[in-house]
Amino acid sequence: MMNDNPLSEHPLKVNRRHFFSQLSVGIGSLALGSLLIPDLFTRSGPTQVSPAPGLPHFAPRAKRIIYLFQAGAPSQLETFDYKPTLLQRMGEDLPESVRQGQRLTGMTSEQERFPLMPAAVGFKQYGESGAWVSDYFPYLSKIVDDLCFVKSMHTEAINHDPAITFFQTGSQISGRPSMGSWMSYGLGNENKNLPSFVVLTSRGKGNSQGLYSKLWSSGFLDSKHQGVLLRSGHNPVLYLNNPDGVSRSDKRHMLDHVATLNELHQNATGDDEIESRIAQYEMAYRMQMSVPEVMDVTKEPEHIVKLYGEDCQVPGTYAANALQARRLAENGVRFIQLYHQGWDQHGNLPDEMAGQARDVDQASAALIIDLKQRGLLEDTLVIWGGEFGRTNYCQGNFDPKNYGRDHHPRAFSIWMAGGGVKPGITYGRTDEFGYNIEENPVHINDFHATLMYAMGLDHEKLTYKYQGRRFRLTDVAGNVIDDLLA
Amino acid sequence: MLGLSVFLGFCLLFESYLVVPEWVVWIGRWHPVLVHFPIVLLLGVIFLGFTRRNFPVLLFEIAVVSALLTAITGFFLARDVVVKGSLLWWHQYLGAGVALGAAFWYGFRREMQQRTYLQWGIQVILLALILAAGHYGGMTTHGEDFLAFPGEKAKRELPENPLIYQDVVQVILDDHCVKCHNPSKQKGELLLTSLDGLRTGGENGPVIVPGDMERSEIIRRLHLPLADEAHMPPQGERPLDKSQIRMIERWVALGAPDTLRMNDLPIQEPLLGLLKELREPKREDKWAGLPKVADSTIENLGNDYTTIRRISGNSEALSVNIYLPPTYDSTTVTSLRALSGNIVELDLSGLPIGRTELEWVGNCPNMEWLEIDRTPVADSTFRPLANLLKLEVLKIYETGLGDASLPILMGMGGLRHVYLYGTQFSGRALDIFRQQRPEVTLHTGIDPENLPFPDHDAEGPIVGEKDSLAGQGSLARVPAGKKKEDL
Repeated sequence: MMNDNPLSEHPLKVNRRHFFSQLSVGIGSLALGSLLIPDLFTRSGPTQVSPAPGLPHFAPRAKRIIYLFQAGAPSQLETFDYKPTLLQRMGEDLPESVRQGQRLTGMTSEQERFPLMPAAVGFKQYGESGAWVSDYFPYLSKIVDDLCFVKSMHTEAINHDPAITFFQTGSQISGRPSMGSWMSYGLGNENKNLPSFVVLTSRGKGNSQGLYSKLWSSGFLDSKHQGVLLRSGHNPVLYLNNPDGVSRSDKRHMLDHVATLNELHQNATGDDEIESRIAQYEMAYRMQMSVPEVMDVTKEPEHIVKLYGEDCQVPGTYAANALQARRLAENGVRFIQLYHQGWDQHGNLPDEMAGQARDVDQASAALIIDLKQRGLLEDTLVIWGGEFGRTNYCQGNFDPKNYGRDHHPRAFSIWMAGGGVKPGITYGRTDEFGYNIEENPVHINDFHATLMYAMGLDHEKLTYKYQGRRFRLTDVAGNVIDDLLA
Repeated sequence: MLGLSVFLGFCLLFESYLVVPEWVVWIGRWHPVLVHFPIVLLLGVIFLGFTRRNFPVLLFEIAVVSALLTAITGFFLARDVVVKGSLLWWHQYLGAGVALGAAFWYGFRREMQQRTYLQWGIQVILLALILAAGHYGGMTTHGEDFLAFPGEKAKRELPENPLIYQDVVQVILDDHCVKCHNPSKQKGELLLTSLDGLRTGGENGPVIVPGDMERSEIIRRLHLPLADEAHMPPQGERPLDKSQIRMIERWVALGAPDTLRMNDLPIQEPLLGLLKELREPKREDKWAGLPKVADSTIENLGNDYTTIRRISGNSEALSVNIYLPPTYDSTTVTSLRALSGNIVELDLSGLPIGRTELEWVGNCPNMEWLEIDRTPVADSTFRPLANLLKLEVLKIYETGLGDASLPILMGMGGLRHVYLYGTQFSGRALDIFRQQRPEVTLHTGIDPENLPFPDHDAEGPIVGEKDSLAGQGSLARVPAGKKKEDL
């Protein structure tokens, strides 16, 4: 090496020291390898979008995940965590013994009082499991025996961006791979004509928070694991269609020649990302056929449309995305991430909550029913929930008709269904104020570990070495919550 | 030699009056090493004696001295054990018998040489003593059922409605703990052979606090790091696995009851799931006998439209998904012939499959999960699937199948779920099926005429301003005028 410039060494991915230290091991293992695997040198396979050997770590219970993310953090106290105490002690200040000086956001920390506020609507118990559901969700209340409620989720973040980033990537600080990317990295594609990680967004009329593409970024993982945003309307994937005047065979020729050039460049630089780029071009070429087909909901029969609600024919709605999610699951997409914005009720909660619930209630329930009749619920895990919970005291003036709730990371509720989780159970419990967790807390890291387990992955073993250390979705924490798994 | 014999006899006679210093106990620790010498040497001497060969006196001497030393160190070692169980008692006296018997033989060997019957007698007695002492010694270290035939130790079947304590918890204890904590050994003065033993506890007090697993010593010990000296079972012994620990935990949390049965448990109780797992073999174990398949074979047969994967990384069971390629013929499917024995899950949904493909599918004997929904499969081509005896999940919805295929479905013994909405099966036929095979769930889908949701939403379309909802596929921004802190 003429100079020690790390940039010029990089393409080789080796320097003199590495070379000598690895030479001996290399030759030895080549010899051993050829003894153990007779056909080791007989052929070199095409680069496949297949996972590393040994994966999945064990037989999975779920093959895919549909994550119905309710961005903005729906209140647990108006959805599934019923707290009659709040009604009895309505207007009283939250006892200091409950809050114990825990931090608040800048939006309520200046408040002089923290008056307890009950839910604006009633709660009832449903199904054989007797799960509590608020009157905002008449459709979900019909399928509670298929759902597994977790009422003891907790997170460390208190503001939206770090909280949603934590949920999606396992870290409050941006830059780590999204969990969909981790699944794609660990399990590969089920259908090689569609991305393994797909994102669909919709937005209700409630107070919204931002969504950024970093949430579905592959971070330091290979970019082929990046989530692909499917837009509503005629052009679901930007720039996927051929430009006017370019035929599919022209495109084929172009891709072949570009691939040749790219291979030359890769030989020169040794950059793996070029290989991914070639693979991505090929995938996009196949997606030109597969995406329009999977996105075409016009052939859905009338009763299915009715099931999801007429909204499902309006592109860009949550209902349309839910129906789309089923079609993507059917077609072998591993991780289908939906976001529905508008759940950030700092004020005007009763009204906004009603609207948000109407957006998602019927379609979420319909999705479960539809997956179930197709046998997809056996191996598809559906998750519904936001990034944190909301306070049991009201934000701003005390007005039971028009109140708000601030962010509350210490306890909130989500539900899951299918894919190896127990149906018809409620896990975890909060105290009578719905403020602290009393039993079976589930941290985001535990949640991630459990999801990975359901997908056949050991969260401690699925790692990626980057910048000198091995990273995991759960970083250095997380326990599989066995009690949630069937 | 005489001195050693006298010393040993003295020890045995005045056992209960002896107080030994700690270093003596340390000497006792050498007993397991020494013990092998007298066994071999004495057996050698006895063998030579039987064959009437001359053997060097020195060999005889070494044999006897080593037997005496072994017995003495063994005696010291036994001082370390607080409660001497019956196993240890027998081992001690039989072992001492071997040593003293050998010394006696050595001392009177000349007298005995004249009387052959005496010589034979002492040899036979010694041989019996060595075998018996060795056997009891082995049982104290390896467990009483160490030499039991595998058949005798056969796993106790879990009864239909097991008692949580007796059929689950005690079975785990029997497997892992009772080897040391039994009446004849009683390490730490703890008996784990009965519920009373658990409640009474050992030298450190009770090991369970009913209803409070965090304060229960047994659970603390199970959870310690393996390397920790206080971890139970100790290093080198088989540790409990996660679900076993969990079962003991839950049982303690439930108040350590002795009459609680599985069917009394509430649906939310995690023990239920653990018990279910105990009863059903792990999926991976089921696939242990599948033929080997090379990674290269899998890679060669796969392509952009055919995905072949191992269901778990280290098993030979394969899951195959085929998606419609631009040009389809039956070889798209039948080219997987080499994998027939390995395919456990197969997804052919929506493919224009015909007789040839279905005949091949019928030759995949290990198939457990088959999706042939939305295909042209018909009663006339369904017959080959009668061979799929292990099939558990079958998706045939939106196909032309009808009552003529019912007998074939009926014959699939492993079936659990059939998804068959949108088929030609008559209601009567399905009723018959349900009667004869109540364990199978027939999923007939939602009834288009009678949706699960009544149309109670009279407020009309939910969407007011469609503009604000449509086209939100791209990144949404924080609305203007939003408080800055709220991010």
